[in-house]
Amino acid sequence: MPKLLQLQHIRKTFPGVVALDDVSFSIAAGEIHTLLGENGAGKSTLMNVLTGFYAPDSGSLQLDGQSVRFSSPRDSLALGIGMVHQHFMLVAAHSVLENILVALQGVPLLFPRRQLRSKIEQTIDEFGIDLDLDAPVWQLSIGAQQWIELIKLLMRDCRLLILDEPTAVLTPQEADKLFQVLQRLKQQGKSIIFISHKMREVMEISDRVTILKKGRSVTTLEAGEFNQNKLAALMIGGDKIPEWQKSLPFSDELVLEIENLAVRNDRGLADLDNFNLQLKKGEILGIAGIAGNGQKALAEALTGLTRVESGRVLAAGEDITRSCARSSYIAGIAHIPEDRKAIGIVPDLSLDENLILKNFRAKRFRHGVFQSRSAIRNNAIEKVDQFAIKAGPQGSPVRLLSGGNIQKVIIARELSEQPVVLIALYPTRGLDIGSAEYVHKVIAEGAGNGMSTILISEDLDELYKICDRIAVIFRGRLIGYVDPANASREQIGLMMSGEVSA
Amino acid sequence: MKKLLALLTMLALFTAGCTNEQKPVEPAAKATAQPAAAKQIKAGFIYVGPVGDAGWTWSHDQGRIEMEKAAYVAPSTYIESVPEGAESARVINGLVQKGHNLIFTTSFGYMDATLDVASKNKDVIFMHCSGYKSAENVGTYFGRMYEPRYLSGIIAGKMTKTNSIGYVAAFPIPEVIRGINAFTLGVRSVNPQAVVKVVWTQTWFDPGVERDAADSLLDVGADVLTMHQDAPATLQAAEARNAYVIGYNSDNRKFAPNAFLTAPIWNWGSIYTKTAEEVQNGTWKTAQIWSGMKEDLVQLAPLSEKVPAAVKQLVEEKRKAIVAGSLHPFSGPLKDQTGKEAVAAGVTLDDGALLGMNWFVEGVQGTIPQ
Amino acid sequence: MSLQFRVEKREQGSALFRTLATSASVLGALFVAGFLLLSAGVNPAAAYMEILREALGSTYGISETLVKATPLIITGLAVSVAFRMQIWNIGAEGQIYMGACGATWVALFSGLEAPLILPAMFAAAFVAGGLWASVAGLLRARWQVNEVIVTLLMNYIAILLADYLIYGPWKNPDGYNFPLTAQFSDAARLSEYFNTRLHSGFFLALFCALAVYLLMERTIWGYQIKAIGSNQAAARYAGMKTGLAIFLVLTLSGAIAGVAGFSEVAGLQHRLQHGLSPGYGYTAIIIAWLARRSALGVIIVSLLMGILLVGGDSLQLSWQLPVAFAYAFQGLILFFLLASDFFINFRLRRVKEDADA
Repeated sequence: MPKLLQLQHIRKTFPGVVALDDVSFSIAAGEIHTLLGENGAGKSTLMNVLTGFYAPDSGSLQLDGQSVRFSSPRDSLALGIGMVHQHFMLVAAHSVLENILVALQGVPLLFPRRQLRSKIEQTIDEFGIDLDLDAPVWQLSIGAQQWIELIKLLMRDCRLLILDEPTAVLTPQEADKLFQVLQRLKQQGKSIIFISHKMREVMEISDRVTILKKGRSVTTLEAGEFNQNKLAALMIGGDKIPEWQKSLPFSDELVLEIENLAVRNDRGLADLDNFNLQLKKGEILGIAGIAGNGQKALAEALTGLTRVESGRVLAAGEDITRSCARSSYIAGIAHIPEDRKAIGIVPDLSLDENLILKNFRAKRFRHGVFQSRSAIRNNAIEKVDQFAIKAGPQGSPVRLLSGGNIQKVIIARELSEQPVVLIALYPTRGLDIGSAEYVHKVIAEGAGNGMSTILISEDLDELYKICDRIAVIFRGRLIGYVDPANASREQIGLMMSGEVSA
Repeated sequence: MKKLLALLTMLALFTAGCTNEQKPVEPAAKATAQPAAAKQIKAGFIYVGPVGDAGWTWSHDQGRIEMEKAAYVAPSTYIESVPEGAESARVINGLVQKGHNLIFTTSFGYMDATLDVASKNKDVIFMHCSGYKSAENVGTYFGRMYEPRYLSGIIAGKMTKTNSIGYVAAFPIPEVIRGINAFTLGVRSVNPQAVVKVVWTQTWFDPGVERDAADSLLDVGADVLTMHQDAPATLQAAEARNAYVIGYNSDNRKFAPNAFLTAPIWNWGSIYTKTAEEVQNGTWKTAQIWSGMKEDLVQLAPLSEKVPAAVKQLVEEKRKAIVAGSLHPFSGPLKDQTGKEAVAAGVTLDDGALLGMNWFVEGVQGTIPQ
Repeated sequence: MSLQFRVEKREQGSALFRTLATSASVLGALFVAGFLLLSAGVNPAAAYMEILREALGSTYGISETLVKATPLIITGLAVSVAFRMQIWNIGAEGQIYMGACGATWVALFSGLEAPLILPAMFAAAFVAGGLWASVAGLLRARWQVNEVIVTLLMNYIAILLADYLIYGPWKNPDGYNFPLTAQFSDAARLSEYFNTRLHSGFFLALFCALAVYLLMERTIWGYQIKAIGSNQAAARYAGMKTGLAIFLVLTLSGAIAGVAGFSEVAGLQHRLQHGLSPGYGYTAIIIAWLARRSALGVIIVSLLMGILLVGGDSLQLSWQLPVAFAYAFQGLILFFLLASDFFINFRLRRVKEDADA
């Protein structure tokens, strides 16, 4: 196969950190190449080198056999390398069409809108994507927004597409759709760098897999040479995966009952509509559903971040929907938010300070109105150790930590006050296997200690793995409960699209 | 780091280079080089505006220059645009530190600061303009500007056709109110139908605000304007709208060659020279000086040729009467704005009443903010 | 070959780098100003020595620099407290006036005597400044009205209100109708030291800096202010009442600025008069910006500003340079300082054109 892009001995350091030590791999035309590695293995840095955000300290980049050097994302884009980031770069108030047009280059001042529109529509049809070009972006699900990002790159005739954990935000059906599109693109001769942690997907789609570990490319394997276990072993290397046991059978005692809950968003649309849910003590209840079907509103209603329109929330039989008891009860609800950087942390404060964000008022962290620095520091030392957080220099802003470590900070903080209920939104999204396993272990251990968990996830594997029950949500309503022990993926998938009621 | 070194090197080269060049002019240094006995008066001036204001500060600076002509006066120093209030004490003290032995502080707002610095420097003589507090080594001086204002009112009263005269007033303090009253009395002495409309700007030097105020007076029919600020905005407004205008502070006709009629002006040189002489001779004593046209501290600028000869003659007669003491603008009977008698016939307001004046005479349209 | 540059955000410059960059920028400003001085026939080296001598060369100079720095420190702290929460208090100028009005009212009309009168004046200034700013705080917290506009416009109201009092009801009855209040009694004046104008307001300013430092860095309130300033959504998620906090912080900011008004009338002016503050409230914004996060930074920047303002007079005093020169000189220094601030936080990277691009 002719090599489209070849990287040799790429090295990139930041003050005090070797992000990439020695990375070499190549991509052929018409290949889907998966990059696998734990958080902090250097995947993000590598992608930033590829897209011209960073210049490597040493090593060479060859495109079509010619040495290239990118000094900005513009350069790499001009050479046909495009990336779909985890965080989309879209203007929420603008329509899909406008967002795509903005990304096009060389469009004349008075651009032929109709002509371009038909070209975009053609691309959409070709791949069978369902997208309304006139809808404003904020109305779309995250999955649909991802399509926009992809179409932007297709419209620019990118030869090499980099997708950073694209399935993290998709339903199984949507993910399948994406894989079909990727296969077609491959047939057209496009090269794809695919980043994922989901072994099933990696197995399904990859032609080759390169494993990164601690800034080095460990090995590259051809399809057929690898299986899930081998990949996991290579990726984690000598690191031990935390062990945990699925929780013990839970009691029938109800800790939380939600009756006919309705929540409207600021556009006046119903996020939750006549929603019912029962949570038992010590239970891990999964909520399956396509993104944007009310999961976020559910979490926010339970944690007091949004106003409840109607309905009741009962805690141990007591109505806390509007009573004063609500706020104190909310204090017993831990919350791992969906967007960890946007609301989960205070980016400019240090790790120590972020770890007490929820319980900074706790007596042990203060003397009167003064904060107890030593107690806060000790708490951080304890949590860093307990949750295996890779902390930067003491006092540096928490935003400098990697995504996985930020998630660990949030989880460490949320679990530190022995909550009654944990509401976790996509807690393992974007985490490597080690970290994800760790999160599962923490949740399972909590359940063992009587904590009840509402786990909102789109990763059915995850739900199957740790949940005692799975509730399916669709358009703000509860479709039904299933027992993961005897329900098929297809059955849940259909319920997620609102078709069947169990 | 490299950048910093380069800068340091450049700076070092550059400063070394220029020390070899011509010696900078330093007034203090020059003063000490002169034989001390010949020029004993080293005067310093604190100005509230820039010397280029063509108004109050400029008129003081003219006085300073005139004073320097005296043989015993060393080149003097001025500091311009000194904020009023506590800030000024430091600057006044700076003049003392630089060896000035006669310091003029030329705005009302320097009063406390002048007294404060004076109390700590008894060997220096201070002269504060327009205030009311004096001390052993602090004298005050001001001019009876109401006298030429009264004369300028006569001209305005004769020249108006609409019987509506505009007064762009600064701050509602006695000095300004006194000027408005004297002007109005002058107007009404020759034209009892005419009224003087007052607009306050609450500024001493703000061309924009003052121009707006002048325009608003023209808008309501005033055809002669006068003012009490240091900026020439009122003059320019009148010129642009073909009205007449009476200036202030200095002979600022160049700003309104067609509209300008005359201006009540300051002649600070007379008192500065006199003070310097007294200090030189050792005869200076603290006093509260309030001089008028007789002492030549205030004047009326030469009248424009637009002013008819008869009016010129009338003004000249009145001027002589004031200088001779036979005419005082604030002699009764005077009525206030409500038409009530404020000063009985045969009574002349004393200086105390003039200095604290806080009411308008009949014929003024406007109010004093209380 | 064309030169292209790209602006990149820097992560956390080191303290040494910051100090060097700031020093370099001051030198740069002096260098450029040197040409101006040369054009006026003045030796720059001598002029700069003179500025330093004026501001620091004598007990008197030092005392005047400290006197000048006093209101700058207090208002700088006031602005920086709100700044930590990403709230812009442009209204410190007006709050100074309101604080001064509050203190003056107590001094002249409350009938209080020593030792109560000074604490009462302080409290009145604190409350008056705080109340004044709380209007903007309420509007911002409750209805999302931009605090920049509100605080800025309220400056004009405050200054005119003070003028009204000076020209009207509070005018000194024995002052020949001049626009001044009566002078404060000795009991209502802050003590002065070393036979200079240095008054205890300076120590009050240092105390304020300590208090602000403790508040911001050591208390749970400061913690909340910082959290809200950095990420309001996260703060709300953590259960903080962000609206209330915005209201309280603007109020506190105004109250501190009010203390500057107290310090000026009780320590320096000893009466209320027009032109109480020659723009301290606006200079404070620059000070808070340059000082970034630290109360100590506010003190240092304010002292530098004091040296600049006090020393700047010497340009006129010794060389009879026009006042515009002093302004240009101060402007240059500020310009360079702000520029260095940019380079501390961002870097320019040379972009090389690709041969084949």
